[in-house]
Amino acid sequence: MALESISVIKLRDLLLVTVPPDPDDETISALQERVLQAMALYEARGLVLDISTVQTLDSFFARTVAETVQMVGLMGGRTVLAGMCASVAVTATQLGLTVGNALTALDVDRALDLLNAAPSGARCV
Amino acid sequence: MKKATNTPSKSPATVLGSEESFRLLVEGIKDYAIIMLDPTGHVASWNAGAARFKGYRAEEIIGKHLSCFYPTEAVQQGLPEQELKTAAKEGGFENEGWRVRKDGKRFWANVIISALRDKDGSLRGFSKVTRDLTERKQAEEQIQQQSKEIMELSTPVMQVWQGVVVAPLIGSLDSQRTQQFMERLLNRIVETNSPVALVDIMGVPTVDTQTAQHLIETISAVRLLGAQVVLTGVRPAIAQTLVHLGIDLTGIMTRSSLSGGLQVALDILNLKVVRKDDSR
Repeated sequence: MALESISVIKLRDLLLVTVPPDPDDETISALQERVLQAMALYEARGLVLDISTVQTLDSFFARTVAETVQMVGLMGGRTVLAGMCASVAVTATQLGLTVGNALTALDVDRALDLLNAAPSGARCV
Repeated sequence: MKKATNTPSKSPATVLGSEESFRLLVEGIKDYAIIMLDPTGHVASWNAGAARFKGYRAEEIIGKHLSCFYPTEAVQQGLPEQELKTAAKEGGFENEGWRVRKDGKRFWANVIISALRDKDGSLRGFSKVTRDLTERKQAEEQIQQQSKEIMELSTPVMQVWQGVVVAPLIGSLDSQRTQQFMERLLNRIVETNSPVALVDIMGVPTVDTQTAQHLIETISAVRLLGAQVVLTGVRPAIAQTLVHLGIDLTGIMTRSSLSGGLQVALDILNLKVVRKDDSR
């Protein structure tokens, strides 16, 4: 199911990716692969990772997200993590998981606003 | 009783002789039940304390097995035998738990069982010292209950503007409370879809390294959600402490007053408050 269930949507010059609810390691790796290919294909200047349905965040997921943010950055794009659940945020903080330099937003709308706004004023985790 | 005396034989033997005075001492103690058990766990001696809070008179209980002091479920689990076994193996055993009086009422007891061995090392029996800690137990439970209630009362999170929540912190922050505060704050941020949270620490008496750490933790959790925290109510004393402790709050917006924080929140949201007559 890994590869089929991931959709990378191109929205003008941005990419929108919805992470499936309970992603296993394989799905997460596949997701990174897809995202980077799409970045190259569309020359997107930003990526929105919608994680609103994700209920568990493990260290592999957190590390892959942090890496992806860096890779997308190297390819000239900015990444926004959108819609993390409160419970996931609590657990992540307690486990000391960070998501590198990803920007964060409450939902996809705000993530798009953030990417469309001037690059300054960006907030990092 | 001879074998129970671990005290050196040169203890202040007076008119009565050491053995007699020791017997009177043990028998007279009223706050502790001090009893002897034979190697199979049957009661061999009884004192005033035991009579007082277990309810049995010496002649009724001597020769009975110690399991009559335990609640039925503990006896079914084989707890009395287990405790004796541990005491025999390790020399002693201590725990706290419910025990039963003669009238069936339960009391919370602290029990110390020690194995008594003679010079050759063969088991001669056990000494069992029991204290009634029911009052302490009840007091502890009450305190726990109260602190739980206080914790639930003391972390309100209110929406003061479209997109702005305020969480006034009152009292000190321990890790348990931080956890609860964090959960409540995060849930409210998601519920109200608020990009800004004002955390007011005016009511926090002192900020130590641990409290600061808890605050930083909360702030990073909020950031993961995609919202920002403005720390308000930074009193002069708190500012001094933070600097002296070398706590790094760079990257965290702080203001001395809640109104200052609200101003920052409005800036973040690109909002402006104007006087009505100016808008004409």
